[in-house]
Amino acid sequence: MSIGNSQPILQIESVSKRYGAAQVLHDVSLELPTGVVGLLGPNGSGKSTLIKSILGLVSIDKGQGQVLGLRWPSQVRELRDRVGYLPEDDCYIQGLQGIESIQLMARLSGLRKREALRRAHEVADYCDLGQERYRNVETYSTGMRQKLKFAQALVHDPQWVILDEPTTGLDPVQREQFLDRISTLAKEKGKSVLLSTHILHDVVKTCDRVVILVGGKVRLDDTLERLQRPSKEGIHVSVLSGAAGLAGALSSKGIESKVSSDGELVVLGSGESLSKQIWESSVEVGVVVHRMDRARNSLEQAFLDAVKG
Amino acid sequence: MPLLDIGYRSWQGERTERWTRSLVLASTGIHLVWQGVWIKRVLMFAVFPCLVAGVMVAIMEQYFEQGSLARAAQQMQQLENARQGKQMGNPMGINWEKMTSDPDQGRHYAWAFILYTLFRYPQVFGMVVVMGLVAPRLISYDLRSRGYLLYLSRPLTPGEYIFGKALVLYFLLFMISALPALMIYLTGLVLSPDSTAFFQTWDLPLRILLATAVLMIPTTAVALAFSSVTQESRFAGFAWFALWVLGAVIYQVLWFASTVDLPMTGGGRRGVDFEGMQNWSLLKLFSPYETLGYMQQQVFGLTSSDEIVWSPWVVALIVSVLGYGVAYWRVSRVLKA
Repeated sequence: MSIGNSQPILQIESVSKRYGAAQVLHDVSLELPTGVVGLLGPNGSGKSTLIKSILGLVSIDKGQGQVLGLRWPSQVRELRDRVGYLPEDDCYIQGLQGIESIQLMARLSGLRKREALRRAHEVADYCDLGQERYRNVETYSTGMRQKLKFAQALVHDPQWVILDEPTTGLDPVQREQFLDRISTLAKEKGKSVLLSTHILHDVVKTCDRVVILVGGKVRLDDTLERLQRPSKEGIHVSVLSGAAGLAGALSSKGIESKVSSDGELVVLGSGESLSKQIWESSVEVGVVVHRMDRARNSLEQAFLDAVKG
Repeated sequence: MPLLDIGYRSWQGERTERWTRSLVLASTGIHLVWQGVWIKRVLMFAVFPCLVAGVMVAIMEQYFEQGSLARAAQQMQQLENARQGKQMGNPMGINWEKMTSDPDQGRHYAWAFILYTLFRYPQVFGMVVVMGLVAPRLISYDLRSRGYLLYLSRPLTPGEYIFGKALVLYFLLFMISALPALMIYLTGLVLSPDSTAFFQTWDLPLRILLATAVLMIPTTAVALAFSSVTQESRFAGFAWFALWVLGAVIYQVLWFASTVDLPMTGGGRRGVDFEGMQNWSLLKLFSPYETLGYMQQQVFGLTSSDEIVWSPWVVALIVSVLGYGVAYWRVSRVLKA
């Protein structure tokens, strides 16, 4: 059974979880469409608990719903065959080679032994494990372990991939490659991805939608495009120096602008005449304009606003 | 990058049944265990006693064939009487009378005794060593490396995970206990000049399997429980060996303390009630070795009384339930951390 694009991947209602005195999830209701969704939140906001609850690794106190068209949490074992999970924790099976670890995960997801080995090599290639696949996993670096976990998450060709802090420990080049792989999976192979991370850049690069969890509650759930759209149209102007002078020159022409903390300028308004006036003003005050583009809200700001409530 | 980068490819195929997933876990565990050189050595040594026992069965069969077993048994009886005169008793607890009274019963008794001896002495020591080498790592390694997250994010329940781990130990114990015993039994059948030997001993393979189950179920439960309560396998290993050594020492001390009123022997040494040691005593519950030994004695029908003593069975059942329960509780609990 597979779900169509119109059907949500996940639809859960009133999910609550308590660890002793600490209420980790408060009546979380969420509906996630297909595509790549970023799950953001400060430390201890309940992201990992929510993911573990979805997979049935943690039993919830309350709540129900549907995940990939299956009743949740009652059909959680069937669900695990269709979900690939990359845990946040540094985890491995001691004594096995990389390729054996991937093969084992494939077999535990129901692939036959020989087919599991063939498939393991296929995803090891995709995840760029190279010849290190024949080394014992306990000798792997953090970056290699992330790649290995990614390969293990993909080996049974899941419909939905849940990645918990996947780029931790990767160098910048590997991180970009990793994010490209996520985008490829989503855009070319039709996989849905839930990306839980602290790194906002990763979300901006890959996600269509963002869910922000704060204190065990969903504080924000919207598309990235809408989050980045400013409340008023404007032009973002990067200058080498003298942003305040340019703002003053624009103000004298009746054009409203704001100087940001990083010394750049957001000029409110739109249209070709506005950009022409910005150029003219910059010449007047001797400010070098480096770049001009449409003003957007930063995800960082949206995140901070959501966390502050 | 691979020479031929084919990118990500989808996979479509038939999946295996869910109940087979524990077997996958077990086969991987066995594969990992098999990489250890010491395990191979111990398993090889575990087969050697089987050769000795095979020779004993062959000699026994020759006696039966020549009708001289009764004569030999009478000689043994005389020797035993002489020993009893010196208060040495019958340390092995062999019932010579039972062996010689009826040829059919005699063969069954003799074979059962040899098999029981194999279980009771060399194989149980092999079992303790193998379990001590293998079992402590089974769960504790996964706890330390958080491998349980990888296992349990697949369609496996904590119960199936424990079962898969237990299967690794069941396999090893089968290799140590049941397999050599069955080999001896088959050797006996092949070497026996009497073609009716099978009809007199057909129940022995079943008794072998039951005796193996008696050995494997409670010991595996205890070993897995030890392995699950710590991330350090050496602690679990220490607890395992300590259980067997301390149990045996405590039992011996208590047993000898309870027999201090026995008369002195001719040589001025205190006598030991060897026959008494073959019978059930609640003191045996202190020692896993003695408790399991008595249960196996019952399984092979070698106890002095035909009445079944239930207390070791009840204790073994409680220990098994507790052992598996602790392992299950620990594995379920770590997920919440």
